[in-house]
Amino acid sequence: MTSSTRRPADALRARYGHALDAATGLARPGEVCLAWVRAECSDFVRFNHGRMRQAGTVERALCELRLVADGRQVRHCLTLCGDPDVDAARVRDGMARLRAALGHARVDAFLDLDRLAARSAHTQSVRMPTSDELVDTVCAAASGHDLVGFHAGGPMACGFASSLGHHHWHETASWTFDYSVYAGGGLDPATGRPARAAVDAALRDKAVKATVGGGDWSAERVRAAIARSITQVELLRRPPRTLAAGRHRALLDARAVADLLEMLAWGGFSARALASGQSPLMRLADGSARLDRRVSLVEDLEGAGVPLFQADGYARPPRLDLIRDGAFAGRLVSPRSAREFGLAGNGATGDETPQALSLAPGTLAESDALAALGSGVWVSNFWYLNFSDRPACRITGMTRFATFWVEDGEPVAPVQAMRFDDSLLRVFGDRLEALTGTAHAFPDTATYDGRAFGAVRAPGALLTGLDFTL
Amino acid sequence: MRALRVPSGGHLVVRCVHTDLLDLAFERGTLQPITSGEDAGAMVVASLPGGMGYAASAGLSAPALADAAARALEWARLSVRLGLFQDVDLPLPAVRGLHRSAHARAPLPELEGLIGLLDAESQAMAAAGARIVHWAASARATRTRHRLYLDGDCVGEQAFSFVEPSLEATAADAGRAQSRSLAGQYNGFCRQGGFEVIAQSGLVGGGARVADEALQLLSAPNCPEGRMSVLLMPDQMMLQIHESIGHPLELDRILGDERNFAGTSFVDLSMFGTHRYGSELLDVSFDPGDPTQLASYDLDDEGTPARKTMLIERGILKRPIGGRLSCARARALGHALEPVAAARACGWHRPVIDRMANLNIEPGDAPLARMIAGIEHGVLMRTNVSWSIDDSRNKFQFGCEWGQLIRDGTLGPVVRNPNYRGVSASFWRSLVQVGDASTFETMGTPFCGKGEPGQVIRVGHASPACRFDDVDVFGAEE
Repeated sequence: MTSSTRRPADALRARYGHALDAATGLARPGEVCLAWVRAECSDFVRFNHGRMRQAGTVERALCELRLVADGRQVRHCLTLCGDPDVDAARVRDGMARLRAALGHARVDAFLDLDRLAARSAHTQSVRMPTSDELVDTVCAAASGHDLVGFHAGGPMACGFASSLGHHHWHETASWTFDYSVYAGGGLDPATGRPARAAVDAALRDKAVKATVGGGDWSAERVRAAIARSITQVELLRRPPRTLAAGRHRALLDARAVADLLEMLAWGGFSARALASGQSPLMRLADGSARLDRRVSLVEDLEGAGVPLFQADGYARPPRLDLIRDGAFAGRLVSPRSAREFGLAGNGATGDETPQALSLAPGTLAESDALAALGSGVWVSNFWYLNFSDRPACRITGMTRFATFWVEDGEPVAPVQAMRFDDSLLRVFGDRLEALTGTAHAFPDTATYDGRAFGAVRAPGALLTGLDFTL
Repeated sequence: MRALRVPSGGHLVVRCVHTDLLDLAFERGTLQPITSGEDAGAMVVASLPGGMGYAASAGLSAPALADAAARALEWARLSVRLGLFQDVDLPLPAVRGLHRSAHARAPLPELEGLIGLLDAESQAMAAAGARIVHWAASARATRTRHRLYLDGDCVGEQAFSFVEPSLEATAADAGRAQSRSLAGQYNGFCRQGGFEVIAQSGLVGGGARVADEALQLLSAPNCPEGRMSVLLMPDQMMLQIHESIGHPLELDRILGDERNFAGTSFVDLSMFGTHRYGSELLDVSFDPGDPTQLASYDLDDEGTPARKTMLIERGILKRPIGGRLSCARARALGHALEPVAAARACGWHRPVIDRMANLNIEPGDAPLARMIAGIEHGVLMRTNVSWSIDDSRNKFQFGCEWGQLIRDGTLGPVVRNPNYRGVSASFWRSLVQVGDASTFETMGTPFCGKGEPGQVIRVGHASPACRFDDVDVFGAEE
């Protein structure tokens, strides 16, 4: 199996960085050529019933070329393979395709490139596990329990260059192990097969979920996290309680608060969405609504290790206030939106989506949170959130993992999956009783379009009420 | 491909995928950068008795593929030792020499023509007035070619051509905003083919209608609250089918693979053949056959030939959406289930998992006029805008762009923010009327998400209008 686990800090740059130079070197007089590369070499391992379900390695590098001339721009995306000659030929073909398309483009009044060329390089070498080390650790730690989860790890990078002289590269390696331990199931000790068919129906959807991850991989952290979850899952084996629809006091763990904050990434702070009637935070932005004064939210790119450059060449601010003392404080303004809506740009990416939301903690000690709740619902995560009334910032979603009914500060029963439907303007407004004193960071585990940089940081929240519906 | 060394006692399956795309969009009157794309790579799967592993590579040279095969074999050996498949017969492609051409009847116009067409609709939306604060017209055309190799021999080759037209307008005034689209803000009208897809979508000439309907919604009263009938049109039925029939019937969910991410299912292995999923009016097919539907193919990515199969007949659950690997796993657990060609991946860089293809509701016998005439108190709903469902695919809440009251058998005024909620296990039993073929429409979504690592894949849904009684309906906050 793989013997070396520490790759060179710039392994991906060595394989794909040349595409940036190949692209920008093709610019002709009067043209500006820009190239954006993102690359990853990832081990992906799925587990089910405490054993390995599906595992593999994906190496993928994408290059987005942009050609700008006479105020027009066109874009072409291609896949790199790591062979410099083959990739240079793909870039040349792509550029030829762009020149053919440029004649069909129109003058783009909102095109804006940073003409002040900057350069940066960030690389970091970390230790990743061998395949055997990883799978042996997880399977041994699961020890017959019904663990289902996913490891994603390895180097990832993004780079940007332009014929104006920009040149940036950001490369690091990281890993996440996102998993759940179910209250029922696991392997039948007699047969070694999944024992799910015999699982009590009431336990089939009861699980504790957690995520560990970071830079250097640590078997000890993985083992400790799984052991902690195995202990916690015992509470879920108590007879469940079905919650009556209506308003209940609620304690949201930091992960549940992070789930709510992620909904605000759906256009909440986008200058374009705010200007075109599509943001859920329009009422907050226009001052007709205000959150509790203890709510302060920043986009903390530096804290989350997100590259501080974007595809139009502009630098991204390390930190940007979005909500300060409960009032709307800032929007994400891409260069394009700055031109279109007459705003001052702040280096936001083209989609104006936050990547590193960070909610300031409050003062309620985590150890006192259950007592402060008294009686009510204790929610560890939310699931499948969506807007049910976007202008009112009202969202609906489900409880899913480890949700308990609490009486006199003691969890007494797991709660059957329950739907809520409520406005975040209320949840973080007049219903907010306290924020806990510690903010926890949750790395971005999304892999749809490849692994991503970014994280959400949040404390827990105690609410005087949350509206449950079904 | 023949130079790849096949592992002793095992097999190598290689899936090569090449994709070419064109993306055109006007946003608020401005042509966005014309975007093209090209992507190619190979997924190499090594299988040994009792285990399998994969490696994906964009390098298609012999050394690059050999490296990928070696890495896949490493994972396969580990899978033999610590995987789930010790007692499972791992499937191999079951065809030889299959060939499928792309279904493209009418060529797309030249770039200039397509840009002009979108521009015209964009201008029509803008012409609706200053209260239209956002408007967009777009079209995406994607061509893909798949080749499947078993131990060096090409066993299947398929080509596809997908087209996704879209229109969207947002009207805003006095702190209120309403959006209307051609068929959903996530491209619900999407099919295989050529220009005829755009022609059939209603995009041509649709800009004025979409903007006008956004304005109507802006001034419409809120949807009423209470228990009543809902008449769901096909561009909402597609979402209802997708979330509360399609996902819960995926066999890999039922086997627990997705419990950490996409969720589990209220359906279990013992229900197939006996469980009453819906009323006797409910007939649901897994149908990869109609060449115009978004997820039609002749061969899935596991190499299983595709054919139409009934999953629910007269309301009784018959079969899951499971490929041959999932069915082999179920068999090892004592449940003999018939596979369908459902094992698919969204590209060369992702492994196969169980997926809906085209999951359709068969038409009934009720014309739309008769369906409306039979409703005393209800809401007709069109075009999904919001969706949420629990991890077992049971408790759902869905919202639509467009609602119209129905009172005493007459279709009445428009209402905004129509929403409804229910429980899958009982909702389909409240199906009381299924529209005839005149109400049947072919829809789909390019954005079905699932899997670890995540995958977004195309699925098709065709449905007639359907009526459900005694549903919990509500609107927005006043």
